[in-house]
Amino acid sequence: MPPVLQIIDLKDSQATRSYLTKQTLRSWLLTTDHKRVGLLYLYTIIVFFAVAASAAAVMRLNLLTPRGDLVQAETYNKLFTMHGVLMVWFFLIPSIPSVLGNFLLPLMLGARDLAFPKLNLLSWYIFVFGGGIALYALLIGGVDTGWTFYTPYSSTYSNSHVALMAAGVFVAGFSSILTGLNFIVTTHKLRAPGLTWFRLRLFVWSLYATSVILVLATPVLAMTLTLMALERIWKVGVFDPALGGDPLLFQHLFWFYSHPAVYIMILPGMGVVSELIAAFSRKRVFGYTFVAFSSLAIALLGFLVWGHHMFVSSQSVFAGVIFSFLSFLVAIPSAIKVFNWTATLYRGSISLDTPMLYAIGFIGLFTIGGMTGLFLATLAVDVHVHDTYFVIAHFHYIMVGGMVMAFMGGLHFWWPKISGRMYPELLGKMTAIVTFLGFNLTFFPQFILGYLGMPRRYHAYPEQFQVYNVLSTAGASILGLGYVLPLCYLIWSCCYGKPAGNNPWGAKGFEWETTSPPPSENFEKPPVQTEEAYAYPVPSSEPITE
Amino acid sequence: MNQFLSRKIRMIALLAGVFVALGVPADAAQRTSGLWWMPDVASKGGEQIDQLTYFIYYLTGAVFLLTQVVYVYFLIKYRAKKGMRATYSHGDNRLELVWTAIPTAIFIGLWGYSNHLWLDVIHKEPPPGTMQVAVNAYQFGFSFQYPGPSGKLGRSDVKLISPDNVFGNDRTDPVTKEDFQSGVLELPVDKGVRILLTSRDVIHGFYIPQFRIYQDAVPGRTIDWVWFIPNKVGSYELACSQLCGSGHYNMKAPIEVVSQEEFDKWYKQKIAGSAPSSTNASAQSK
Repeated sequence: MPPVLQIIDLKDSQATRSYLTKQTLRSWLLTTDHKRVGLLYLYTIIVFFAVAASAAAVMRLNLLTPRGDLVQAETYNKLFTMHGVLMVWFFLIPSIPSVLGNFLLPLMLGARDLAFPKLNLLSWYIFVFGGGIALYALLIGGVDTGWTFYTPYSSTYSNSHVALMAAGVFVAGFSSILTGLNFIVTTHKLRAPGLTWFRLRLFVWSLYATSVILVLATPVLAMTLTLMALERIWKVGVFDPALGGDPLLFQHLFWFYSHPAVYIMILPGMGVVSELIAAFSRKRVFGYTFVAFSSLAIALLGFLVWGHHMFVSSQSVFAGVIFSFLSFLVAIPSAIKVFNWTATLYRGSISLDTPMLYAIGFIGLFTIGGMTGLFLATLAVDVHVHDTYFVIAHFHYIMVGGMVMAFMGGLHFWWPKISGRMYPELLGKMTAIVTFLGFNLTFFPQFILGYLGMPRRYHAYPEQFQVYNVLSTAGASILGLGYVLPLCYLIWSCCYGKPAGNNPWGAKGFEWETTSPPPSENFEKPPVQTEEAYAYPVPSSEPITE
Repeated sequence: MNQFLSRKIRMIALLAGVFVALGVPADAAQRTSGLWWMPDVASKGGEQIDQLTYFIYYLTGAVFLLTQVVYVYFLIKYRAKKGMRATYSHGDNRLELVWTAIPTAIFIGLWGYSNHLWLDVIHKEPPPGTMQVAVNAYQFGFSFQYPGPSGKLGRSDVKLISPDNVFGNDRTDPVTKEDFQSGVLELPVDKGVRILLTSRDVIHGFYIPQFRIYQDAVPGRTIDWVWFIPNKVGSYELACSQLCGSGHYNMKAPIEVVSQEEFDKWYKQKIAGSAPSSTNASAQSK
């Protein structure tokens, strides 16, 4: 057959055969296709999100009354531990990297798959195994230490299934490390011809920065949880002073992982928002290199600020001063991103589709989350609000208002590519607005609660705090609606949505050049990058300069 | 009780108000102070912390408003129109420099000022005549140990902490015998008090929002740098703010800030009541 005919033949077969065509259980469970693995992650984390969100719902209902009439104190402690552990390790950390990152990284790089496709599938199995252990620990009685596992309560005093839960998190950590490794190698080795580092999409930059943290920080968590479990099971004295250990050592080690983990949770969200802002304002992201390097700066500085979780822990007063300084520094790259996103809108051509609404929400809520961080970085002020609802509100503005909004925005943006079909746009927009309002009603009152002096992790509370708790619970029910709706209409759209076409948003990037849903090998022929990233149409008078 | 009832009614009213999108502003005026924002400060130096809080609040508030106004203005002004194209821009290094330098300068200034508060107000040496009180946290409560007439607590060491010696008192020290214990943190107004904070089991928190004070109590160490001067007579509550178990939410101790005369009276009573076997008194004695 002449070569020309061969190509045509290939084209025909691919037009009908997408990565979703083969639908057997075996084809899913043994897939090494990064897109399918991304979807496997999506299904898995939806389950964990549902469980963790239900725990939060019960907590919020319990807090409707000051006496905490719904559940007992011990149950309440187990609920917030379950909420924290599952949300952090089994939803937020894998959310954007493992779902959208897995799906998109090879597409954005113009590659056929990740560098190590089998390793990618293995990391999903490891994740499911770790998650299974964690769920089992919950089913047989749960854990009451909080997701922070502070010693010596966790290692000596708690009568719950601490070691088992730690084992679940420990196992899931390997999935993080392998995914990070896979992303780093892929970004280095599998970029399409012409795709230089400074032509990479900003989402790729943020995934790269995230992967660096995943690879460097997660082993510290594994080590810390192992030591804690050793102390619990075999009384090896590391953290318990009664056994000759030091409880503060645990906090240092734990936050050395867990603060960078905060950036594992937000950096990919920032990457998604850069994509959304560019696509829906039809502009190259303002100050591309500054946004790209601010991701790396956050990854680096994120390793140096763990002590701000310990201002009142009895770490040295001067250590507090240094950690305060570094915490202020880490706010700068975030501020740079926000300014650049705003400047990107300037003289753009903005359309407010659903993903853009989520991105807009992200920027506002992330700004509030970041700015309230300044109160917490300021030593004397932190003392008053440390371990109160102010902190809860602060990090939920980042994690939920930031990361979850970005995840929803990204999911809607790339949904046509993932499923090949459009979701109902009007319903999508309404849901984005409902989520935004519900979120603010849930968490804004918690700032005030914190200032009034309501400590976190209280199953019952003084009467004067009730009004804000009632507001917060009311908000949570609205927020819940904002999460249930997309689940329904996205599933609906898989069958009944209108076909999306290759590029429903008219956006720039390799992933929009291939079919929706893409063929198993992503591209009919390997793409070549001939222009900078986000090269949206420019007035003919203005030349493109690199 | 009446007050509780009326408060409950107001809360229900407020909740109803939120759902019909009115009633919140109307209700605000009726509240007693401190219900919308911080509890009234009741310690010397606390106002300085509040000033800093307000400063950051107004600063971030102004910056937030400014950025959001610009942001929303752009969103409205540059929305897509038929026949209009986005203007190409590659960025502007000068602008980047400006919006990197300004926050950096503000942050460093804020850091510098907060250090002044942290080091010169919170962590400086307490004034002479400051009373010492040992505070021992446990699952789930606090006990307090006061010095006897000598005004000095006896020697103690966390290594000596045991079920029948919760403060880790060194019983060979004669001064220790004069110490007495209390279940209430009774404090004279306008007088410095330094806390020697220990825990006998897990990590607890020593949190008094009205005094703007919080310090973790960590087993295995005595924390001796927390001090404050309560300056308003009244009843307060010491709360645990570090998760310590199922009774965490209920781990509290009363604080009474009283006049010097009242304190002296209480102190004399306590000394007379516990003279013979003060050091053996049970920690849970109220």
